[in-house]
Order: sequence, then structure tokens, then C-alpha cells
Amino acid sequence: MTTYFLRRFLLIIPTFFGITLITFLILQIVPGGPLEMEIMKIRMGGQTKGSESGSNTGTTQNIPQSAIEELQKFYGFDKPIHQRYLIWIGNLFKFDLGKSYVYSEPVLDVITSRFPVSIYFGLIGFMLTYIVCVPLGVYKAVKNGSTFDFLSSAIVFIGYAIPGFAFGALMLVLFGGGSFWDVFPLGGFRSTDYESLSFTGKITDQIHHTILPVMSYVIGSFATLTILTKNSVIENLSQDYIRTAFSKGLSEKKVIFGHALRNSLIPISTGLGHAVSLVLAGSILIEKVFNINGIGLLSYDSIVQRDYPVVMGILVISSLLLLIGNILSDVLYAIVDPRIRFK
Amino acid sequence: MKEKKENNKVSTSLFRKRWKKFKSLKRGYYSFLIILTLYLISFILPIFIGRDALIVKYNGEFYFPIFKYQSAESLGQNLQGEANYRLLKKQYQEEGGDNWVFMPIYPYGPNENLLSELEGNPPHPPSSEHWAGTDDRGRDVFARLAYGFNIGLSFSIIVTLFAYFIGISVGGTLGFYGGKIDIFGLRLIEMWSTIPFLYTIIIISSIIQPNFILLTFVLTLFGWIGITYYVRGEFYREKARDYVSAAVSMGAKNKTIIFRHILPNSLTPVISFAPFAIVANIFSLVSLDFLGFGLPPPTPSWGQLMQQGLVNIEYWWLIATPLVSMFLTLLSITFIGEAIREAFDPKVYSRLR
Repeated sequence: MTTYFLRRFLLIIPTFFGITLITFLILQIVPGGPLEMEIMKIRMGGQTKGSESGSNTGTTQNIPQSAIEELQKFYGFDKPIHQRYLIWIGNLFKFDLGKSYVYSEPVLDVITSRFPVSIYFGLIGFMLTYIVCVPLGVYKAVKNGSTFDFLSSAIVFIGYAIPGFAFGALMLVLFGGGSFWDVFPLGGFRSTDYESLSFTGKITDQIHHTILPVMSYVIGSFATLTILTKNSVIENLSQDYIRTAFSKGLSEKKVIFGHALRNSLIPISTGLGHAVSLVLAGSILIEKVFNINGIGLLSYDSIVQRDYPVVMGILVISSLLLLIGNILSDVLYAIVDPRIRFK
Repeated sequence: MKEKKENNKVSTSLFRKRWKKFKSLKRGYYSFLIILTLYLISFILPIFIGRDALIVKYNGEFYFPIFKYQSAESLGQNLQGEANYRLLKKQYQEEGGDNWVFMPIYPYGPNENLLSELEGNPPHPPSSEHWAGTDDRGRDVFARLAYGFNIGLSFSIIVTLFAYFIGISVGGTLGFYGGKIDIFGLRLIEMWSTIPFLYTIIIISSIIQPNFILLTFVLTLFGWIGITYYVRGEFYREKARDYVSAAVSMGAKNKTIIFRHILPNSLTPVISFAPFAIVANIFSLVSLDFLGFGLPPPTPSWGQLMQQGLVNIEYWWLIATPLVSMFLTLLSITFIGEAIREAFDPKVYSRLR
């Protein structure tokens, strides 16, 4: 088994190279990159200047070849693409992801500075989902077919059919002080005057800014996890070993919690492996809706502003975490369920 | 020959059995009927919702503007370009006379700018004339929602079909042949699936203005992976079954084994998964439209309306109405999916005690 996981870890390397190569190619080959954008900006600037001075020099200002070459050098476009990729990979091994075009700071710093916000929301959402959904799913399985089961299913499905970001937008309309109630702030991670608040003021302010985004984060995953738990428990309750447990005179409580539950939690526990991705849990959509300065918004902005080093940096980190999360899930699977043998 | 007939009979009865079970699950069955009806209607939507009159009678002659462009002058309207049939209707009524206009029930088009007919600045709140108000360019929101339904659903059905085709082909190949092809293929798929999908689509469509075909293509590129794993697993399992060994020992070709024997048996999870794939694709399209990287304007789209609503949250109808439409659509399709899954599931869970 150790060899299996060792091999899995080694397989990360080729997979990782493949991913970076594909995205690097996409970014570098398609037109409209940072270089073209910069050149266009200069052309537009030249044009307005020309018309201001009244000289009718033509529609496009020609940029001297030397300036273009300089720009190419700045963005690293003066070398052929395979060289650029090799340079980038070489720097990666030195943990150097380059410098952001927009922030003029090392990419790693730009990205890590956004971690706390995303971890904060990711962790709260993650824990809330597990704390609510697992007991709910178990209870629903035990009471399968009851009114409570039906009603909670209905609520959970309603949540499933509303995308998180849309739910967030609706909440802002209702409670953000538009035409209805003004209960919650319009967005952001904290108030602008957060530092000047008292200790309790800080806490209430933080909670105030947390409730709506967290609700949007968890609304979709509630359905999946609850139904998964319920189905898993139901399947186990119809197994022969449950009948055996009952027939030897165990109480219902003991059968459910001592026997059925432990086996039912196997498929659920594997999801915990992806907890490592919490660092990047920021969803582009939800952070955009609530204007939260986390990883999601950073990735959106970096695409819009053609900040390619940051785009690549986020890709590198998120794909690495995903690959590791996959393996961790399998490790957990093997630990929780001794019947599982990977080879 | 006789044997074949027998086979067919068995398979139809199995299908019938499932269909019967599906019909008995009322929630899913009625959702299915409603969605199907609405979707079929949405193809002839201009008859019900649109700016072009269905029939115009002018000076004793009949015109059908819904099929053929009519200039305003040819119908006696003092306007440039195409006739405005709502104004024309009023004009004819005021004139009295024999001329008349027969409009669709809801006489506003999805891409039509209504600023000249409405007072005040857009967006206008819902009213008895404009059931869901207008958007920031004075276009009727209800008409846009209705047309957006057809586009969104068509889009996600097409993407699902393409993704299924690729996923079933690739998954089947990997599962059936196994060995080196399987190992190598799985590596490639793992690579592909690790690329953050929404992120990459945003990158691509932020650089190239996407159209319907390009967006279908890109979403398909990332949508086939889940189903590939399913089908591969199914093929793997079915291949080891006795009936396949029997077919092999009878000298059946690979082609026959794959298409006649294994494929029909491994389609169950695929089919019951389809409604959820459609839901996911609608979701993707709405998200992309919302971020401004989806279908090009002026395509009517739900996500784009919500984006407008979020810019100024006082225009609540721009968020609430697409949200409700999306919610009802996704909920119905989820119900259908649940019912299909239950109808296809032979297992009966009964609590033992």
C-alpha cells in the first residue's frame, strides 16, 4: 500500500507538468495578451495626443521598433515559447513565480496575502456543512418517509436549485439596503473603519460581514452532503449485519450509532481529503458578488487585467492542492475502511 | 432471428417497466411534462411573445409580418424602416376603418429597445404591461427571460449530448481495452480534470469573444470527464461478466460485444446522470453570463440580467425574476433526475430489523 501511495505521489510530477504546459500554451498563444494590450494603450494614447495638438498625422501612431522590443523584453516575449516555458519552470523550482505586472510585487506574496480571507470563509463554510449535514442526513435516514424527511428534503432541494452566487445576490437585494431592508453590509471582508472599532465592535462587525457570504458558500453543498449521508445510512440499514445486530437484542440506538453509522461515514470521510484546497476555497462568483478580496476575486482580476504571472501562480497552487487532495482522500479512504486495498 | 425478437421483447418490457415506475413518481413525471411542454413552446415563441404582429389587415390585404419583413410605409405608418406594430394597432384603432393588427399575446420582443414608448429612465419596474419590468437598456425583461429559457436549455442539452458522446467513447475504449491505453488515458484525463474549469473558460473567453458554437465547444471540452470515469468503470465491470465471456467464446467481434452487449448494459448510470449534467451546464452558462464572459450581447440571458441587477440592487426585479426562472427550471430538472434515478434503480431499500 505504501508503494501505491508513493507511486501516486510520483505521478503528480508528470501530471503537474502537463497542466502547466497546457495552460501556459493557452495563455501565450492566444492573442490579446499583456503585450498587445500595452501596445494598444500606447497607440490610443498617441492618437489622443496627436488630435489634441491639432496635427493630422493619421489614425494610428506608429511605435518605434525599439520600444516594442523593450516591451517584449519586459514581458519576456522576446524569446521563443519553449524557452519561456523552461525559464518559467526553472524559476518555479526556486519558488519564484515571477512578478505581478499589476502589483509589481512577487506573485507568491500577492497570492499568499489573500489566503487568510479565503481560508476564513472556506473553513467556516466547510465546518458548518459537516456539522449540519451529517446529523441531518442520519436523522433523515432513520426517519425515512416521515413528514420531517419530506420537508427537509424539499428545503435542501430548493437550496440545490439556487446557485450560491445568485442566492447571495438575492440576499443583497433583500437585506443590503436597496428597496427593502438595510440589515447587512453590501459586501467586503470588514468595514473600512475596522481598525478603529472596539474589541466587541470588531467581532460584531466581522460577524456582520460573514453571515451572507457564508450562507451563499454552503447553500449548494448542503444538498449534496445531506443526501449522500442519508443514502449511505439507508443502504447500510438494509444490510444483513443490521438484522443480525437487532436479532441479538441490541437497542436501536446501539445498532444505528454503533454499527450502521460507522460504516455509513466511510464515503463521507473521503471528502475531508479535499480540505487542503480550503486555502483556495474562494469562489470567483461569490467573492465577486460580495466584493470580498480573496483568491477568487484575485483570479478574476488577474485575468481581466492580463496579469499572467498571477494567473499562472494561482493555477499552479490550485492544481497542486487538488492533486494532493485527491491522494489524501484515498489515504483517508484506506484508513477509515480497512477492507480497501489499493494496489 | 427468433432469438433476436425475443431479446427485443425483453428490452422493451424493461424500458416499459422503468417508464411505468417513472410515471408513478408524480413529482418527477409532472416536472418532466411541464419542462417538455415549455421547451417545445419556446421554439415557437414569436407566436406568443414578440414584437412582430402575427396578422395585419391593411386596405383589404393580409400581411404576415411574423414571417416577412414589412416596412412601415407599406402599412401606412409614418416611420422609417420596419413597422412598429404596437403603434400601428393603436393607429388603426384610432382611424376606425377596416384595418386591424393581430399581435402576439405578449407584444414585446427580447432585443427591442422600448425607450421611445416608455416614460422615465430605464430600468422600469414591473407593471401590468411589462410583467417583469425592463432592463438597463429599456428592453422587456419578461421577453428576455422567456427567450433566455430556450437558449439556456438548448445550450445545456447540446453540451450534455456532446460531452456524453465523447465521454462514452473515451470511457468505453479505456474500460474495454484496459492495459496501457487505460493507464496512459487516465493520466491524460487526470491532467485535464485538474485544470480549473471555470477559470480556464474565463481565460479563453476573456480573450476571444465567444459565440454560441465556441462556448458549446469549450464547455464540452471540460464537461466530458465525469461521465468518462462512470462509463470506464461500467465497461470494466461488465467486461468481466459471464455474458461477455459467452459472446467471446461464440466468436463475436469486438464491435458486436461493445455495441450490442456491453454498451446497453452500462448506460443506466449514464442516463440517470443526464438531468444533473444539464443542471450543471445551465449553471455554468448563467455563471459565465453573470461574469460577462458568456454569450455575446444582445443574446437574452439570465446571468446577464443578474449582473445588471447587482450593479444597482435597487432594481430588484433584475435579480429576482431571473433567479425565480432559474430556480424553477433547475428544481424541475432535479426532480426529473431524481425520478429517473429511482426508476432505473432496481434496488429496493427496506429497513431490516
